Amino acid sequence: MNPCQGYRTSRRSMLGATGATLFGLQLCDLLAHAGETRDTKAEHVIFFWNGGGMSHIDTWDPKPGRPTGGDFKPISTSVPGLQISEIFPQLAQQMHHCALVRSIAGTQADHGQGTYNLQTSYQQTPNIVHPGFGSVVVHEKQKIGDLPAFVSISGRAPRASYLGQTCEAYFVGAPGEKDPYLAFPEGITNVRGNQRLEVLTRFNTRFSDKAPGESAASTKTAIDDAVTLMRSPALEAFELDKVPTTMLNRYGDNTFGRGVLLAKQLVETGVRFVQVNRGGFDTHTANFPAMRAHGDVMDPALACLVEDLAASGLLQKTLIVMLSEFGRTPDVNEDAGRDHWSEVFSCFVAGGGISGGNVIGSSDEDGYSPKDNPVKVADLHATFCRSLGIDPNKEVMTPLQRPMKLVDHGSPVPDLFA
Amino acid sequence: MQYNSISQVSPLFVRLRWVGSACLLSLILLNPATHRLFGSEKTSSLDSVQPKSIDDALDQENAVHGIVDPPEPAISDLAWIRRISLDLIGRIPSEEEIDEFLSWPAAERRERMIEKRMADERFTDRWTTFYADLLRLRSNSEGGSAAIAWVHRSLADNVPYDEICRQLISKNGKAGAVPEVGFILGDGADPMAMAGVTAQVFLGVRVACAQCHDHPFDVWKRKDFYELAAFYGKTRRVENRFTRTIYTTESTESLVMWPPEGVGKLEDRKPMTPRFPFEMLPEDHPSVVRLNARRTALAEEKAALLVKQESGPSPDESLDDLLADADEKVVRQTRKGTRDAALEAVRSEVRQIGASGGRSLNSDWRNELAEQITSPRNRYFSRCFVNRVWCELIGRGFVNPLDDFSNSNPPSHPQTLDYLADEFVASGYDLRTLVRSIVSSNVYQRGHSVSADEAKRANLEIAFLALPARRMNSEALYDSIVTAGHLFHVKHAAGQNMKTIWAEAQIPKQPSGGGVLASRSLTGNGGQTMNGAMAAGEDAPDQSPAYNLEGAIELDFAKILEQSQATGEETVMVDQMSAMSKEEIEAERMRMKAAENSYSYVERFTRQQLDDNPSFTSSFRMASPADPEHFLRVFGQPERVQLGETRDHTPSMRQSLMLLNGRLTHEAARVGELEAAYVLLTGPKPNPKKAVELAYLEILTRTPTAAETDEGVEMIKASQNRLDAMADLRWVLLNCNEFRFVP
Repeated sequence: MNPCQGYRTSRRSMLGATGATLFGLQLCDLLAHAGETRDTKAEHVIFFWNGGGMSHIDTWDPKPGRPTGGDFKPISTSVPGLQISEIFPQLAQQMHHCALVRSIAGTQADHGQGTYNLQTSYQQTPNIVHPGFGSVVVHEKQKIGDLPAFVSISGRAPRASYLGQTCEAYFVGAPGEKDPYLAFPEGITNVRGNQRLEVLTRFNTRFSDKAPGESAASTKTAIDDAVTLMRSPALEAFELDKVPTTMLNRYGDNTFGRGVLLAKQLVETGVRFVQVNRGGFDTHTANFPAMRAHGDVMDPALACLVEDLAASGLLQKTLIVMLSEFGRTPDVNEDAGRDHWSEVFSCFVAGGGISGGNVIGSSDEDGYSPKDNPVKVADLHATFCRSLGIDPNKEVMTPLQRPMKLVDHGSPVPDLFA
Repeated sequence: MQYNSISQVSPLFVRLRWVGSACLLSLILLNPATHRLFGSEKTSSLDSVQPKSIDDALDQENAVHGIVDPPEPAISDLAWIRRISLDLIGRIPSEEEIDEFLSWPAAERRERMIEKRMADERFTDRWTTFYADLLRLRSNSEGGSAAIAWVHRSLADNVPYDEICRQLISKNGKAGAVPEVGFILGDGADPMAMAGVTAQVFLGVRVACAQCHDHPFDVWKRKDFYELAAFYGKTRRVENRFTRTIYTTESTESLVMWPPEGVGKLEDRKPMTPRFPFEMLPEDHPSVVRLNARRTALAEEKAALLVKQESGPSPDESLDDLLADADEKVVRQTRKGTRDAALEAVRSEVRQIGASGGRSLNSDWRNELAEQITSPRNRYFSRCFVNRVWCELIGRGFVNPLDDFSNSNPPSHPQTLDYLADEFVASGYDLRTLVRSIVSSNVYQRGHSVSADEAKRANLEIAFLALPARRMNSEALYDSIVTAGHLFHVKHAAGQNMKTIWAEAQIPKQPSGGGVLASRSLTGNGGQTMNGAMAAGEDAPDQSPAYNLEGAIELDFAKILEQSQATGEETVMVDQMSAMSKEEIEAERMRMKAAENSYSYVERFTRQQLDDNPSFTSSFRMASPADPEHFLRVFGQPERVQLGETRDHTPSMRQSLMLLNGRLTHEAARVGELEAAYVLLTGPKPNPKKAVELAYLEILTRTPTAAETDEGVEMIKASQNRLDAMADLRWVLLNCNEFRFVP
């Protein structure tokens, strides 16, 4: 039995009895550490960000036969008793590798604040910037090989803020597009470029001799890192030219499909955290055709990713998460759209040692609010941290010397992991 | 350009000053619990002779501390002109400027150059960036770009620092139209946030922790924080539901309640009375007396001037122009006789603002706060600012971190700090006087210690006997590369850079509230671009707008102010609405809402033949902060959101990639036909040696050593293409570490 079970129900009494924490550790953690045997921690994360607020009812939490159910029918999956929306037919066959959280109790129905909250675990406040989840992960998990530890595809990841420059995302515009900064400028051949670098090294050595101190030395390291990356064979992981057409067609030859393929290649090459951004979920009008189109694009790519990583064994070490800033109103509005809804929504999880086919929590019969086991956003983040072996309560210092936890007071959700 | 502060001081300002002083005095008398820091004021300064200059003050203090090391000798004229140019106008000097400087008599050239730099328009640009960092002004926040443009104009007009701060702290009004409100709207006019911001930005005191608990290792109590926050308690950020106009105004109720939420009973919670918790100097302190004398003289001069002009218009600066014509609007609408419910809502909203605020919607409490903060008797205010400016120019503050004045973090040289602070106050809070006094000091002329002994080096730097090495700020680095590469103007003959490109055109859709005016020049900025800068969460994922990591889109600050202050827009909108049906108004509201959520530009891509003859504009005039992946951000331009965020000068791989492979360094290195180097290399009498010397002078502001000259000449002679070889040399010089460090 999971030692954390029952923690939630008796939380209040336990808080009273123990003063909530002992040496900064949540009671739950102490218990967890005492009885835990799971040793395969996730090493990588693929984080799908669906900007705009994705409808929970039309994806992971269908409400068949209810007035709020909408146009889509639920379909059965590879997990007996588990149903998801018909817009994910291929993924349905991979659900035994996946899990769902259907009871996220959000608090922000505004795009900016919701995005901030879901990506950082913190509430947005005026004069501090909290780092995104990717920055937290690479702050705690060392870079492997030449490639950057954190890559964001097709959109920005949040800033690293007080975690520092090394925890910033390396940004890739369109998947497969070459970063012009990784090659010598137009018209400069490799021979000439390398000659330039040789002369530059000579100059900088002379300067360092004249100017002692860390400044010059750390600049040299930055140049060395840059040149190492420029010359690294691992850079191939950023390219999609050599991907066979059949493979591309399986994932879908579109921005998202290519982004997922790229994420897979990067993780296979050692990148710790890949964020894949996608927008278009703010379906205030014509929700159903839009979600159908999203399904057509997302379903094959996600299903192939889960299937391929499971086949190679990397799925066990790779946590896949799909999140959005909030869900959408159960009620369909007069424009056949759904509006912002943060009271309850869902999250898709796969790999990373989760217990396949698991569903955490539920919403009420119409999808308005959590019915059981409400999960706070910070709890969700704490859960991801747990999968990665990161202590969500670890404190880091802000520029004001204010200690901040990696996750805003979250407790891992029991039961999600095997 | 000469600035005369007298002409900028409005009569209202003069009037307010004296009223303010009276209020302030009464508050202090009623206020026994002000905090004392640095012990008592008398013991904080050493019992020594009143210093005659910065150097005198510093020498005295170093002597008291028993420091006997000799200072680093003054740097050479060439190193100095590079340093002063970077510090005052944010770029390295051009060859012509160096020649002119060296042509002046040695005894007076530095003084003359300081005056020349201070009068340069770029001084205003460069120090606007300093202010924007300090005040956390952001072009993309509500009223933010107008606020930056306003600071720019204030600096150009030499408006005193205290006056700038008073306006920023106390003004209410519409975002953009009243540019100063961009400051408090940057934090959503939230009282708790503003308490922390006010103390830290203007006074260098970190009280933000006291929002939730008594400060763990300082004197600040939670109650102090709430009392400070209470000054902002009645201020509200309001968004007009129909016009989407954002403004600040005063409410009758305060939001700041004591005891705080969760402490004590709900019914015990009462609105907090504002109180300023900082210790003040006595009224007869010499710096206060000097300033008051100066102000009296200025006021008399001004009064005399006014008498001469007879009765001018009486400007009432406290009026928000949204409301100035509010009554008029309501009258106009009523006359049209429309009884539409939606329109009535607009009216009642406008009327309500007018009724509650009368003709003056400025905050009494915040006026009071502004007076206290900027009072000459408030040493925190002057100390904090001079410490920042000192650090900006010298590389290290008397108090570090700059915003952490506290008992547990005393200044290294309290007497020197106070000397500077007092002189600053007595000068009427004049930035240029302060900067001039610092850069004219002996300290500023000193070199860096090259001692391999790290502890010794640190000690010399703490005593200001040697100056710490520092990197150029991102904007200065950018503009210096542009200067060194002659890219402010085209350097290639027409037709030399023909390219077929997919050009991006940005077509403005609808002027947005913030009013960022952008025109994208293709040449110089149309090269390497990366797609997909789209912020996550936006619609239309497959049509990412391209952006440019090294482009600089220059803003016209004057135009921003002009446009945002034009009051027509509001009137026109309400007029249009009165002619619309309820459905039309609703449709319009939805349209505006949609526009708000989308980009304000339409992106179009077209195939074009283009003479891509590069030229770049100054990065100091860009919308700031730039995009997160932009050159300026990569090199440390702050995001200006986080309180206490400073410029990050740590090197990174991204920076290296940008300089090694970026378009800016590449174009700066290429030799154009219109450059002197071109003639030196390909003319009838080629002179590679001179070309190498010129490259060193223009890029590193120094002459090469004999070995460096030989090395450069060898590179040119060994190459089949002399222009390529020169481009290689220039590329190396632009990329080398020496370039990035301020000498």
